[in-house]
Amino acid sequence: MKRTAIRDQLSAISGQRSARNFWRLTVLLFTHYSLLITAVILLPFTAHSADDRNALLAGMDQAEILRLGERIYREGILPDGKPLPGYVSGDVPVDGTAFTCVSCHLRSGLGSFEGNVVTPPTNGRILYQPREPFIKGSEFIPYIHNYAVYLPVRPAYTYETLAALISTGFDPTGRSVVSVMPRYEMSARDMAILIAYLDTLSDKPSPGVDKSEIKFATVIVEGTDPSAVRSMLTPIEFGIDRKNSLAVAASKNPRVALMSYNMSGNLTDIKFSLSRWVLKGPSTTWKQQLENYYKTEPVFALLGGITNGDWEPVHRFCEEKGIPDLFPIVDYPVISQKDWYTLYPSRGVRQEGEAAARYLHSMYDLFKGRSIVQIIRADRRAEALARGFRETWAETGHPPAEDIILAKGEKLTAEKLQQIVAKEKPAALLVWDDASLLPAVSSLVGKPDKPGLVIASGTYLGKSLWAVPEEVREFLYMTYPYRLPQDDARYDKAAKRVLAGKPINLFDPVIIRQSYLTNEILGKALLEMRGEYYRDFLLDTIGMMADQYFPLYERVSFGPGQRYASKGCFMVQLGKGKSPKLVRRSEWVTQ
Amino acid sequence: MIVANQTLGDQLSVVSSQLFPPQRTRPLQARIIHYALLVTAALFLSLTSAASADNRTYQRSVEKYAMPDVTLINQNGNRVRFKNFLPTDKPVVVDFIFGTCTTICPVLSAGYASLQQRLGADTEKVHLISITIDPENDTPAVLKDYLKRYRSKPGWDFLTGSRKDIDRVMKAFNANIPDKMSHYALTFIRMPKEDNWVRINGMMSTSEFLAESQKAGIK
Repeated sequence: MKRTAIRDQLSAISGQRSARNFWRLTVLLFTHYSLLITAVILLPFTAHSADDRNALLAGMDQAEILRLGERIYREGILPDGKPLPGYVSGDVPVDGTAFTCVSCHLRSGLGSFEGNVVTPPTNGRILYQPREPFIKGSEFIPYIHNYAVYLPVRPAYTYETLAALISTGFDPTGRSVVSVMPRYEMSARDMAILIAYLDTLSDKPSPGVDKSEIKFATVIVEGTDPSAVRSMLTPIEFGIDRKNSLAVAASKNPRVALMSYNMSGNLTDIKFSLSRWVLKGPSTTWKQQLENYYKTEPVFALLGGITNGDWEPVHRFCEEKGIPDLFPIVDYPVISQKDWYTLYPSRGVRQEGEAAARYLHSMYDLFKGRSIVQIIRADRRAEALARGFRETWAETGHPPAEDIILAKGEKLTAEKLQQIVAKEKPAALLVWDDASLLPAVSSLVGKPDKPGLVIASGTYLGKSLWAVPEEVREFLYMTYPYRLPQDDARYDKAAKRVLAGKPINLFDPVIIRQSYLTNEILGKALLEMRGEYYRDFLLDTIGMMADQYFPLYERVSFGPGQRYASKGCFMVQLGKGKSPKLVRRSEWVTQ
Repeated sequence: MIVANQTLGDQLSVVSSQLFPPQRTRPLQARIIHYALLVTAALFLSLTSAASADNRTYQRSVEKYAMPDVTLINQNGNRVRFKNFLPTDKPVVVDFIFGTCTTICPVLSAGYASLQQRLGADTEKVHLISITIDPENDTPAVLKDYLKRYRSKPGWDFLTGSRKDIDRVMKAFNANIPDKMSHYALTFIRMPKEDNWVRINGMMSTSEFLAESQKAGIK
């Protein structure tokens, strides 16, 4: 068939149609597409029109809206108290209390990364701006910190498109996020409440931060040993001085600026300051003193801090005001699964008792039902050790150990210990006392009822740990919450840099290393924060850090909401000979 | 002209050129129909390409692994010998998660929870095992709390242990990572009396996980 013939045929067919029919067809076709596209775009938004927003929230107090919005965001609980229903992959129901906004977008709303999964920010300030690549072209560089690689460009959200994303899982470009983000079902009013909360999330600059300065303070409880205070302050001041020197150097020489702190945000130009907030008198008055300090000088965060005893009023103040406190040097931290703002170096003294419980649990079958006895000196340190043991031992499901508490001021004697052992015949004995336990424990040598192992606290023994009598070393096990000294030398060089030119004997070797942690973690976190200096984001950022290896602790680890950095403790024995070494008898963390 | 030995493509191109000759005087009707067809094709292509992109979020392979003889601890604080803990008479699914994990674990655990929902009353006919990659923080109490949040039913165990033993298990599954923050999503499925494991590497949506479980034989 010839081409012309086909053309003729077609023109004959089309020629049969009148021009009116053609335009009808055209109009129908376009109407069809227009309706289809409009329906696809507008269908999800009908329930959440912006015009309705104010009407939906009319009569509600702003503080109440934010409280309810925060509860949806953080706990997955709707204003009526019911769990927020979510659907993974668009159809599979998942309870919002298991899996809500905060799980991935974190408390600050500024997003997270884990492995190569990146969750973008979800706060109004960022959502209502279009997303461009971080640095043009950087989306082609495969590097985790360049989060633009993983986040596609998108236009600015509006209230309507944001509501549509939350309820349908489609973003304004039509891209579906349902493979990782649940689609949440909620009423138009609840949606308005949640979005009102997102609008305020990481929105206004945190107190203590401006374009030229970030203010910090450290809390010192009066009466704390001056050498301990000096040891806490020195590494932190060292870090702040170094940062400020770099800021000056960078302002004079752009090549210096290229070398470090300019890597994210405007950190190069910002100076740090550190104030000392000294708390005096009884701890009941500390809250007011802290209020006064804060009123005069709002700070972004507290760094370190030190006390001989109580810390709880400072912890509570930080919770109330939402002020982060990085690594206060305290023996008795507040133990909480939910509190957010204070990050402790460890769980304190009680961590040794917990480690002892896990260690004994690992060998419990060998005890064949024989008892376990704790002898507890009547002081705070021994009681904290005993409580750590008791609570962890209960978690493992064993019957409670026999607790024998010495009278106030009483020290353990050989006679008393022998009586206890003869009566209880324990398989294992825990003695929470200082060096006065050593002669008493020595008297058990050769006795028929001598327990298989005696456990004491390495930190409570202090320097006497190195003076454990030779005959006791075989059955005395000690908790030791640090890296063993012989292994710490190669990590210790960094901490010693802080002390360069200073007389070492004026410092407490443990505290200076604990405080070194504050300096290092703060620096790392600020570099990761991309100029977003928000208090919750500081803690979120630390929560996303990989395990860190510094002097003193075998390992410090973080995770969202984890608030005790060092989680381990070795069980050790003192080796034989005149210059003995500590010998490891357990792993860093015993489960 | 169409000749007998022309390919279908050739024939179509001829028809197309006859329908829409490349001259400026192409009729308006033809141009409108042409654009309408193009829009339809673009919509169709964008939908199919979106669907095929979803399929590329994980890889599936069949592997053989030798399990180490280590003792781990479950959410109740009970010590379990891992080798004996893996059942041979029913399907077993293993994943690696941790208690305070943000992005990856909630998706994996939502998959476990959905599978248990689908199993109905007898949730124990499939053994779901989660193994922590953060043994430092994940004590049995943390594990128990995590399972409670996901409303786990009998048949889902969460294991912790010493870091050394957990590392050995991860290495056995070729799943070792230097740090929990380098976590990536892995799921392993083994059917009764089988030696081979189905290894699924990547983030599956819950419906994909259910589909993969079904594909492996879990009904």
